[in-house]
Amino acid sequence: MTTLLALCGLGALLELDTTYAFQLTFSRGIIAGPLLGLLIGEPLAGLQVGIFTELLFLDMSPLGCILPPSATVCCTVTLALFALKIPLYFAFFFGVIGAILFSELEIFLRKRRCGWVAQQEQKIVHNPVHLSRCIMSALFMSLVLNFVFILFFSGIVGIPLAKFIPLLPEKLHLAGKFSYMAVPWIGLVTLLSTFRLKAR
Amino acid sequence: MLTPLLQIRLFIRSFFIQTGWNFAKYQNLGLAFVMYPFLKKLYQADKEAVPSVLQRYLENFNTQPMMASFCIGSLAKQEELLAQSKTLAIYQQRLSEWNGIKRSLSITTASIGDRLFWGVLKPFTLLMALCIWLLLDINFFELNLSPLLSYWEIWNGCLVAFIAFNSIAVLVKWKGIALSYHAENNGCFGLTQFDWNKTIYNIKRMGIVFAAILLLWGVYYFVHNIQEPFSLAFITRSVLVLFFVSISLVTRSLRIPNMYLYIISLLTFCVACLF
Repeated sequence: MTTLLALCGLGALLELDTTYAFQLTFSRGIIAGPLLGLLIGEPLAGLQVGIFTELLFLDMSPLGCILPPSATVCCTVTLALFALKIPLYFAFFFGVIGAILFSELEIFLRKRRCGWVAQQEQKIVHNPVHLSRCIMSALFMSLVLNFVFILFFSGIVGIPLAKFIPLLPEKLHLAGKFSYMAVPWIGLVTLLSTFRLKAR
Repeated sequence: MLTPLLQIRLFIRSFFIQTGWNFAKYQNLGLAFVMYPFLKKLYQADKEAVPSVLQRYLENFNTQPMMASFCIGSLAKQEELLAQSKTLAIYQQRLSEWNGIKRSLSITTASIGDRLFWGVLKPFTLLMALCIWLLLDINFFELNLSPLLSYWEIWNGCLVAFIAFNSIAVLVKWKGIALSYHAENNGCFGLTQFDWNKTIYNIKRMGIVFAAILLLWGVYYFVHNIQEPFSLAFITRSVLVLFFVSISLVTRSLRIPNMYLYIISLLTFCVACLF
């Protein structure tokens, strides 16, 4: 349980790097995956999940107001489920779903934040020193929300799934493995088209 | 005047430009936070002016975070000119210039930054890491990776990608502040100091070579351990790989995100396997 909490905490912290602080790519799949994997004693699983996450989300970039699914949330949820003894190929599927839901939640929160920002602007104009406090509280709120989402989603999906997985027929495991192993090939095709040269 | 200490402060604060991002005014809180030490120093003789100046920085602002440094430097320069205005007419003219620069430069830098950092540099550093892992015999195409791998083998790909991306990102962030602050009038706020198109083109050229190598490497890993080339398992797997490669080419042209292809394929496989 402590490991899971630590995993969700680290995931929430790394997720801040996606948008709100630093943007030093700690949150990209190939960095966050092995880091999170190390925490649960499975760096190789973390590495594979990180690579697959990055390849799968490669075609979505944060251009303008577009919010791609979070690679960190995908890795964290996948590894949290993996730590609950759910096979990686099924855990990854729920990681992807978690990342998509998280981006929807993030869009909702960014819209809701407008009111809060308007209040903060008033305070800042009256007292500019409030600016640092405002930035700190925005960071802290995001951290808490990231943590709550990851923990809640991993718990809601992971606990029933851990009981349900042994009951699944072998054929479904095969289906999970097939589609999981297709991810790098899908990603490689995307990579090739990413570097397609156009006339300068 | 932009002193080295002030540049360091602006640089460190620029890592928080996206904190408080919202759909109403985007990075406005972040921009005000980054500029605050500069404004405080510039208006130290007239501290009462700071709140009204900050109000201008709390208006709409949105750009690519790594390229924001060019906006920060040029806005600092324009703010200095604004503070030195002798008459109201000059002040109003400079204020309108300040607004124009803020709007147009944020769009230009966002366009360059999105193409360079998200469009080519991120995929390219991923490619570098993948090639390194394959060189070290980490066959990530397989479900079960060898447990005999050392931490060094796992981490060097990550480190190379991390350093390669950030050396460029941090350099642009750091140099962008000073370049745009000291830029001549015809220097396009320091943006012309870098040949962005050439850089993007060269990375793409290298990327296509790396990607082709990686794809061939993937095919090699796929076939080199096969004992029976015409076994049912091998043929099934080959058909599936070819199916996914061709269908992802179709979904790329239809602009359907990869994740939906993966989700649909898993659900389809589950249904097909059950019945």
